[in-house]
Amino acid sequence: MFQWDTVWHFLFSDPNHLFLLAAWRTLWISVVAQFIGVILGLFLALMRMSRFPYLNWPARAYIWFFRGSPLLVQVLLLWDGLPRIINNPDFLLPDFACILVAFSLNEGAYMAEIVRAGITSVDAGQMEAAKSLGMRFALAMRRIILPQAARVIIPPLGNEFNNMLKTTSIASVIGLLELTGTAEVYGSQNFVIFELLIVATVFYLLLTTLWGYIQSWIENRLDPNRTLKAELDQKGWASRMLGFGSPRPGGAGTLASGR
Amino acid sequence: MSVQQQENSDSREMVRAEKIVKRFGDITVLNGVDLSVKRGQVVVVIGPSGSGKTTLLRCINHLEKIDDGRIYIDGELMGYRESNGRLVEDREANIARIRSQVGFVFQRFNLFPHMTALENVIEAPIHVLRQPKSEVTERAHALLAKVGLAEKANAYPHKLSGGQQQRVAIARALAMNPKIMLFDEATSALDPELVGEVLKVMKQLAEEGMTMVVVTHEMGFAREVCSHVIFMDKSVIVEEGTPEKIFDHAENERTRNFLGMIL
Repeated sequence: MFQWDTVWHFLFSDPNHLFLLAAWRTLWISVVAQFIGVILGLFLALMRMSRFPYLNWPARAYIWFFRGSPLLVQVLLLWDGLPRIINNPDFLLPDFACILVAFSLNEGAYMAEIVRAGITSVDAGQMEAAKSLGMRFALAMRRIILPQAARVIIPPLGNEFNNMLKTTSIASVIGLLELTGTAEVYGSQNFVIFELLIVATVFYLLLTTLWGYIQSWIENRLDPNRTLKAELDQKGWASRMLGFGSPRPGGAGTLASGR
Repeated sequence: MSVQQQENSDSREMVRAEKIVKRFGDITVLNGVDLSVKRGQVVVVIGPSGSGKTTLLRCINHLEKIDDGRIYIDGELMGYRESNGRLVEDREANIARIRSQVGFVFQRFNLFPHMTALENVIEAPIHVLRQPKSEVTERAHALLAKVGLAEKANAYPHKLSGGQQQRVAIARALAMNPKIMLFDEATSALDPELVGEVLKVMKQLAEEGMTMVVVTHEMGFAREVCSHVIFMDKSVIVEEGTPEKIFDHAENERTRNFLGMIL
């Protein structure tokens, strides 16, 4: 018998805030791992694009490994494998540290390719113009290239973070009780696993929906035209939150709507 | 300063290129090109497409590396330094420092699209020369007024016509107080009716005594404004001299043929 009151209880009237705390864990792991991943990805992308082999080959190898093997395996390698490699069976990485390291390293590889695509999308004349004004590479990147690349990077970055929020469920395999782990552990103890998975799902949807809203705000900010702003203002909150038919800036939808 | 010294500094070479060789793979684009531009001189480089004139200009501020020869900007070796009798690529900081004294105007404008016209102009003086923002902004407004775009200061490049964008690009280069300005076919990407407004600004600069190297197909501009014409063909300088000499009394047949085709 499905217990709606259990779902209700854990959603709205849980005095211990069990799932709220689990959602918080999910959120901060995602934010920290994504943040480190973006920084890592930026440097990997620059290395990967360098003409010096001693910079671009390590980056290529890194990206090849982390994109080519499952995240779950990378987590387990760090969790179970590291004590064996350093030959100290008592050494155990704290579960949070293990998850953050594995997720950040993995995300760095994906972000590297996204950042590289963003930088490549900026016209080569921009770097030449910056250099002709006496800018050095780092300054030109920071002031001229990356702000333009950001418009191309942000939409897939949003996807990555959306994925990250859900991929954190992998943390449950090493006993870190984020949303999925909480639902599994408490659910199987009390024979309400289905009910608690529903609660977890509601929290996941809450997080991803909130993120979708933040993402469209960021994309709007980065659009010098601010045309999207006008379009968004004409739409109701529901279409903004759920993204029904909202065109991406510069996408085919924007052109079709007679920009 | 004595009169003699004054003359010397006035006739100082702002650009000196010696036997420049540039190859792209198997193709030799510049084959031993010499160039000398004195202070206040306006040198126009003409020639058929593929003759190497744009590459020559890009080599001057080291947007292209050279395979042989030397380039001096106001007496300083550009892009390279001597190490054990051999030339090696210079440090990035030094290349950037010399480049900041050389204005470059591109065929495709290359304005920064995420910045307004004013922001385009003040960007490098603030972040490269580290000049105070208020002072730079004041100067930028004056420069935009000079190129006839005072009221477009807050417009983004995509809201401007090609001619207006190119004039902002010229103001952007001038904001660095360059010793010399290089123009790479600055009017070639413009609709015909917009060419005049850009040439007018260039002409005004020349009259103010700016040292300029201009790669162009605008023969009227060359004849009217410049003091020295260089005709390039097939990776070498074929003939050079005053506008009267090149346009009216060219000695070389290739020069006459080229001018006959486009005049």
